[in-house]
Amino acid sequence: MLRLVLVANTLGVGLYTADEMVRPALGGVVVAGLVAWSLLVTWAYADASRRTWRLLAVDLAVALVALVLTPVAKPEGFDATLAGFWVMSPMLAWAARAGWRGGLLAGLLVGGTDLLIRDDVTQGTYGNIFLLVVGGPVVGYLVESLQRAAVERDRAEREAAAAAERARLARAVHDGVLQVLSLVQRRGAELGGEAAALGRAAGEQEEALRALIRAQDRVSARGPATRVDLSDALAGLESMSVVVSLPGHAVELDADRAAEVVAALRACLDNVERHAGPDATAWVLLEALPDKVSVSVRDDGPGIVDGRLSEAVADGRLGVSGSIVGRLRDLGGRADLATGPWGTEWTLTLPREAP
Amino acid sequence: MSEALRVMVVDDHPMWRDAVERDLADAGFDVVAVAADGHQAVARFPAARPQVVVLDLQIPGPNGVEVTETVLRHDPSARVLILSASGEQEDVLAAVKAGATGYLVKSASREQLIDAVRRTAAGDPVFTPGLAGLVLGEYRRLSEPAADDPDRPQLTERETEVLRMVATGMSYKQIAERLVLSHRTVQNHVQNTLRKLQLHNRVELTRWAIEQGLDEPDGPA
Repeated sequence: MLRLVLVANTLGVGLYTADEMVRPALGGVVVAGLVAWSLLVTWAYADASRRTWRLLAVDLAVALVALVLTPVAKPEGFDATLAGFWVMSPMLAWAARAGWRGGLLAGLLVGGTDLLIRDDVTQGTYGNIFLLVVGGPVVGYLVESLQRAAVERDRAEREAAAAAERARLARAVHDGVLQVLSLVQRRGAELGGEAAALGRAAGEQEEALRALIRAQDRVSARGPATRVDLSDALAGLESMSVVVSLPGHAVELDADRAAEVVAALRACLDNVERHAGPDATAWVLLEALPDKVSVSVRDDGPGIVDGRLSEAVADGRLGVSGSIVGRLRDLGGRADLATGPWGTEWTLTLPREAP
Repeated sequence: MSEALRVMVVDDHPMWRDAVERDLADAGFDVVAVAADGHQAVARFPAARPQVVVLDLQIPGPNGVEVTETVLRHDPSARVLILSASGEQEDVLAAVKAGATGYLVKSASREQLIDAVRRTAAGDPVFTPGLAGLVLGEYRRLSEPAADDPDRPQLTERETEVLRMVATGMSYKQIAERLVLSHRTVQNHVQNTLRKLQLHNRVELTRWAIEQGLDEPDGPA
């Protein structure tokens, strides 16, 4: 396209200066040849398979010939060559094809020839040639960087596609494995004895695999996390004795606040194991309200005997409970404990944003 | 038992399908059909006329959610119990909104499965704590100021309280004791939370259809 603009310019200048020419016929032939060559080469360059070294060499040679013939066609002390600015196009073609080296080589050849055919070099001419020689490598360098970037992008896209496909296949395989593990778990529990132990092992593996899948899903999309989804973090706590209930959507919190909540929750769960026994089950429920987040932990243990808690507080033996309450207070929230024949329940509430 | 409950089992894993079928048959249910994918399920449903469809969500062909919609449109008196291994949250919620009234994870014991089928047949919703958490989350989402919906369903305070307790693993009996209510009342509260969500889903679908110009005059449903 640029080439066509340049050739139009050359044609215009050629016509304008036709009456000054010593040999107008030769000048006309050269300019007409440039026009024809430009049309041909524009078509030829359009297809990558035709962009051969031979074509590039001929392109450059055409420019040099047009330059060399200038002193023959034009009177002594001419200003513009017959090709004029058109010499830029083969040079750009070289830069595009062979990078900064190609651009520099073509620029030097064109610039050198231009200098050789002139008797005296004006400041303007020198400026044009200097720009030509500098421009070649610069354009070549830019083209190289662009190509590198494109290659890089293509590779990244291919890798992303491959990762997505791997994840899809993994999900299909995992689903099958999960099905079998839950079946073994179920049958094992029914058969009892050794099979029951086998069933429990299968159950543990099912949990482990599910946690792995969740972890995998988490890595894929997120960038560096300053905000995290509390649902994800709590899902990781699920085990044979911990049931986690989540809302179906993301609950975003600052990463450090989420980490504090998870730490407090772990303390609650440790408490369950210590006081309600290893066979107790704990249920964790996450609720997201517009301005606050609430996490409940209930166990099915015998509950805390009336007065035991206040007794402990009075004795200064706050221990784990104190750390839970303290953590939540630091977050601008609160931790409440309720207990009864239905078990013991902690409710941790905190505002969504730091106070 | 006056007459055996008619049950259909839909699962693409033959091992699982057989296991569930055998368990149900041993418990005295009449397994009137089985299907390995959504197409078979939809095709066999009309002739088999099951009262309860035990449905895996992860099946080829029309998925569990679509099967739920289709069979319930065909026979609104049928009940769908979701039996799912992978606990895909969105799918479970979608199936429940489409009309499923029960959800059980596959690692549940045989007794739990049989009990769940019985309760589902009786119209009693079967909730896991996980499903209660999802339903609660869905109501919260709908009540956010951003979700600008004039007829969004809302839970009463009591319903929220009951649902939270189901979500933290309490049985209806425990909830009834803790709140000093009858077992039946607790059941009704849970049922209402589902019913409102399903109704809202139908209203949404209808409104969407009208907006898209898809409401063909095919008579009263």
